[in-house]
Amino acid sequence: MSKLRFFIALWLAKLSQPVLKITKHNGTNFPGELALKICPEFLKYIAKPKRIITVTGTNGKTTVNNLICDALEMDGTRVLNNRAGSNINSGVATSLINGVTIFNRERFETAVLEVDERSSKKIYPFVQPDYTVITNLFRDSIMRNAHPEFIAGILSESFPAKTKLILNADDLISVGVAPQNPRAYYGIERMDTDVAECHNLIRDIRICPECSTELKYDYLRYHHIGKAYCPKCGFKSPDYDYAGAEVDVKNMRIKVKDARGEGTYKLLSDSVFNIYNVVTLVAVLRELGFEHEEIEKRVEKLEIVKSRYNEETAGKNRVIMQMAKDRNALACSRAFDYVQSREGEKELLLMMNNLNDERGWSENTCWLYDCDFELLNRENILHIICTGPRALDYRLRLLLAGVPEEKIDCEKDELTAAEKLWHKPGTDIYMFYGTDTVPLAMRVKAKIKAICEEAAK
Amino acid sequence: MKIEILYPELCNLFGDLANAEYLARSCEAELIRTSLSEKPHFIDNDIALVCLGGTTERGQLIARDALKPWLPELLKRADNGGLVLVTGNAVELFGEYIETDGGEKLPMLGVFRTHAKRDMMHRFNSLYLGEFENMKIVGFKSQFSFSYGETGEGLFKTIRGAALNKETSAEGLRRGGLLLTYLLGPLVILNPPFAKWLLGEMGVENPALAFEKEAFAVYETRLKEFSDPARGFEY
Repeated sequence: MSKLRFFIALWLAKLSQPVLKITKHNGTNFPGELALKICPEFLKYIAKPKRIITVTGTNGKTTVNNLICDALEMDGTRVLNNRAGSNINSGVATSLINGVTIFNRERFETAVLEVDERSSKKIYPFVQPDYTVITNLFRDSIMRNAHPEFIAGILSESFPAKTKLILNADDLISVGVAPQNPRAYYGIERMDTDVAECHNLIRDIRICPECSTELKYDYLRYHHIGKAYCPKCGFKSPDYDYAGAEVDVKNMRIKVKDARGEGTYKLLSDSVFNIYNVVTLVAVLRELGFEHEEIEKRVEKLEIVKSRYNEETAGKNRVIMQMAKDRNALACSRAFDYVQSREGEKELLLMMNNLNDERGWSENTCWLYDCDFELLNRENILHIICTGPRALDYRLRLLLAGVPEEKIDCEKDELTAAEKLWHKPGTDIYMFYGTDTVPLAMRVKAKIKAICEEAAK
Repeated sequence: MKIEILYPELCNLFGDLANAEYLARSCEAELIRTSLSEKPHFIDNDIALVCLGGTTERGQLIARDALKPWLPELLKRADNGGLVLVTGNAVELFGEYIETDGGEKLPMLGVFRTHAKRDMMHRFNSLYLGEFENMKIVGFKSQFSFSYGETGEGLFKTIRGAALNKETSAEGLRRGGLLLTYLLGPLVILNPPFAKWLLGEMGVENPALAFEKEAFAVYETRLKEFSDPARGFEY
């Protein structure tokens, strides 16, 4: 009965695909949702590729997932992936449906799947990866993810025993996941930009997991990322199996060393997050048996998707869209840190409001007080406009962060806010937007560009 | 004047630490951060306010153990009117026990005849509107557990949203100067009238807040939103 139900689910899901294509709704999770509704054990029965790699974590999982897919596809390998869909169980189901024939015969050798941490319990009992990458675990949405210790617990309970974990050794929360599983660690040795003291508001693990003594660091990058040790009991971050080293941002190069050799790799961006992403990719490919030389060639051809950071020139200004995931203090802090580190005079538009929440509810703004708005208190940040439903909350937070009152303006309407920017020639205008505000952000960007271009005539 | 934050390395979720920082800034108080291994400063020193924030489920056990030796002094302080502000799930430390999903009862400090019950598969998220000493209180809840038992009148009287549990209107608990609420994060910043009341209780004459005008603008906007019956409350 279960098998029959499975095939009915598979066929109806397959049938839905051309309909979705005709109606221009392809790319949604509908086939997977339908299949799971008809057959709740659908993921158990559907054929899967022989080799499965999953990627999870708070930040960077989409980028790493795409990089692994792109790198593997370079020699013509067909890789089943969910990059066009979603990372929850119905998204994974949709991808697997795409990978089989109507007779449930698998058409792919390899799958690389991004998996949402909270969906792990629904996915991993049936889709058992050979390798799982955890990019990092940080505080995320308060409402959905609570805190990273909770997420680490979910992952520990979900991963199949056979799965080899590829973990960021510089993140002690990831390190603590599923201690019984086989594992390999990657990390980055001391960098010039490392600090001795943490200046971030969030440090999700501050005490030793063994004896609760406050941790110390040989080097600290940001938040809790770094090489930690306990001054009391001797607990410390694990040694790297794959060590990023000699980061050279000027020439955009990094070395990755392991027990079998080393390679020199192109950096895909100068942000530390993306430097980690390259090391993560190399660690995965080395685990899959690739030689450094081959990986070097592939990384050379790779690029990261620019949807989260986009720079355009308009008249005498540059207009830069910087995604700062709404309700995510960590993601916003990282975005703020990156922008404040850029040279030149800047004007900022803060529009990371969660508009979905605001439609019928009200955004939980606790995250503002976990987020490092202090990073925006810089001399070369000339003007900040707070916009959207939570504009007043942003203003108060900026004032408490020490930003001078005269630098801050408030305008609830985002398009009007675009007009109220100073558009001073030569300045860079940064728009911080969230996942909810993408279409609106595109309209705001167009308006800012038009004003800058008009002013330059 | 001094404000003490207990265990900031552990009890620091969701912006809770900002409360003490805001009050300290408003009255130019010195902030003292006491770690798990230290003797709390309020025992031997004049401290105007002690703050304890929310933590992880494992963190609750560590904080309980750290606080236990100092509980008699903390209660003596509270019974003499000394202020202790406890936010988020740190409330649960002061009940009799926390019952886990598996039915295990984790003993807590037993100050109140209440107990918390966790449901880790269902996170409760809501807005909150309540009353305290003729002031309206706005806030947020995001939690895995509710508290039951002898809740009494609580700290805040609930107008909208869930209180200690969904059956009572009592939000939080109070014993003398010991003020406990499940409301999260920057509760004090979100509620300038409450912040001014706290400063007054701390002994600040004619209390004024940092960026008071801007804080009231935020408060009034949120109060209007939360008082709108058309606005959803549970996420």
